[in-house]
Amino acid sequence: MVTPSVPSTLPPLPAPKKRRRGVPIAIRALINAKMLLGAGVFYALFVALVVGLLYPTMTKLNLDAYLTSTGVASLVGAKLTHASSFAAIIGLELYGAFYGLIFGSIIGYIAGAALPATIENGTLDLALARPISRTRYYSELWLSALFASVLTSLATMFAVWLSTLVVKNAQIDWTWLTITQLIEFAFFVFAVGVGLLFGSCMNSSRGAGGAAVGIIFLGYVMNALGSLTNKLNWLLKIEPYYYTPGVQALVQHNFTYWHPWVLVGVGLLCALCGMIIFNRRDLPMA
Amino acid sequence: MIAIAQQKERPAIEISDLHKSYGNVQAVKGITMNIAHGEIFGFLGPNGAGKTTTIRCMLDLIRPTAGNVRILGYDAQRERQQVHRQIGYLPGDVRLPGDMTGKQVISYFADLQGLEPVRLKELVARFDVELKGLLKSYSKGMRQKIGIVLAFMCNPALLILDEPTSGLDPLMQKTFNEFLLEERARGKTIFMSSHIMSDVEKVCQRVAVIRNGQLVAVEAVEALREKAGQRVTVEFGDPVATEELARIPGIRNVTCADGTYHFTISGSMDALIKALSRHEVRRLLAEEAPLEEVFLKFYEEQPAKLAPELSR
Repeated sequence: MVTPSVPSTLPPLPAPKKRRRGVPIAIRALINAKMLLGAGVFYALFVALVVGLLYPTMTKLNLDAYLTSTGVASLVGAKLTHASSFAAIIGLELYGAFYGLIFGSIIGYIAGAALPATIENGTLDLALARPISRTRYYSELWLSALFASVLTSLATMFAVWLSTLVVKNAQIDWTWLTITQLIEFAFFVFAVGVGLLFGSCMNSSRGAGGAAVGIIFLGYVMNALGSLTNKLNWLLKIEPYYYTPGVQALVQHNFTYWHPWVLVGVGLLCALCGMIIFNRRDLPMA
Repeated sequence: MIAIAQQKERPAIEISDLHKSYGNVQAVKGITMNIAHGEIFGFLGPNGAGKTTTIRCMLDLIRPTAGNVRILGYDAQRERQQVHRQIGYLPGDVRLPGDMTGKQVISYFADLQGLEPVRLKELVARFDVELKGLLKSYSKGMRQKIGIVLAFMCNPALLILDEPTSGLDPLMQKTFNEFLLEERARGKTIFMSSHIMSDVEKVCQRVAVIRNGQLVAVEAVEALREKAGQRVTVEFGDPVATEELARIPGIRNVTCADGTYHFTISGSMDALIKALSRHEVRRLLAEEAPLEEVFLKFYEEQPAKLAPELSR
């Protein structure tokens, strides 16, 4: 046996300097979500611009009776008394239940996949073997999903602004548009919470993201069914779209102010439950 | 200062009656061992023996069912932040995000450590690490080298290495073993699990052998070497009875082929030399027996009696 010859003692090396930490986990999670976020931004721009371009034609077709019908109300999750203005059309097309369904699903998937993705790519073990608490790790992922929600909200507002450039007399009330966007942001807080909750207890990013999307889709189905008949009204009270009166705010300039807070509360509660689960569980190997 | 001195007085790693169960499956069954400061400690065992489970308990990635782990004087669960500030970790299977470059992944983990990677240049040069390409294009060996850089780059006081030479070519394994010995000379404590017994033999002072979640031995490598003894080959010019050799104290496993005798001897060779002097010896060859045989014996035997720990 040949033993390498190494001196028995060597001088110790200098201690490393401290390094500013920032929020590397949140930034990394956002980079991981770039494709989905890009798809969301593209969709917002696409819908807003298409509505802007088609608006003159739609006003000529006089779709008011159709758009204010119960059938459409069950689809978009909003019952309007008139739907001829640009605000109403953009509200129905962009900020109805579809907004929660599409953008909420994107955000929910991003939040759900964030944690299991780091199990799958092997970085969770290496990260948590460093002086990073599980609470901080989870909080940064939460922060990244909320930041993704802010980016999506800003992109949507930008898309609406772009569409107003192609519509004469769009007459959008920007204060109420901002309020509408904040209401939708409350839905995002809910979607983030649901996603994180699944992500905290599942090891597959697709599984956790898919489960979050499933809950959001289930909510949409409950909303659609609950809007059809008074007998199923109870369904509305237990699904998230009922508490997302974005279209009413944009078109009728009023809404039940506490409704979005229900979404925020449930979202925070889900995220907190996820944090407790993540702190207590054994982490699987990649 | 007093706190640091107290930490130095305690073992670098103290594992007390560690148990870990997954439902009805007991992965680790009451492990107790201490690792001294400045020691390279080998942790051996067959696949599924509980090595990685023990390491993951030490890192608080999984929670023990019972028992306690203290690292550098801190409780590995309750004071994990203090522990993790001072350790480097190399997982058994280094998996890294394919969409990052080597440089990005090093910067990311240095951010998480909150320390500058002071040894980066030295490690990159020594292990010939590629930093520019995307990690998905790296071979297993190159990923392992990145893992080694990540573990050592912030100059930690204690290293926990799970199968560190897995995927490295023989030349790089030799470089790594030399590097470990240098780290020990700098006063670092190293806890490493391995399947490659020759590596353990070269660098470790003590080894623990785990099987079916139980420690079957904690021994100094020198003591194991004593146990392994020496392999002797003797060719006689006159006829010699096998029984005559077998009667010599310390001799075992005597075999004979074409007048050449092979056997293993433990302890002093004096009795053997005196016995051989009574015969015509044409050829005599003695060499250290490989430790693999001793380790494999631990793997195979039933752990009826646990070997006493050689405490320091």
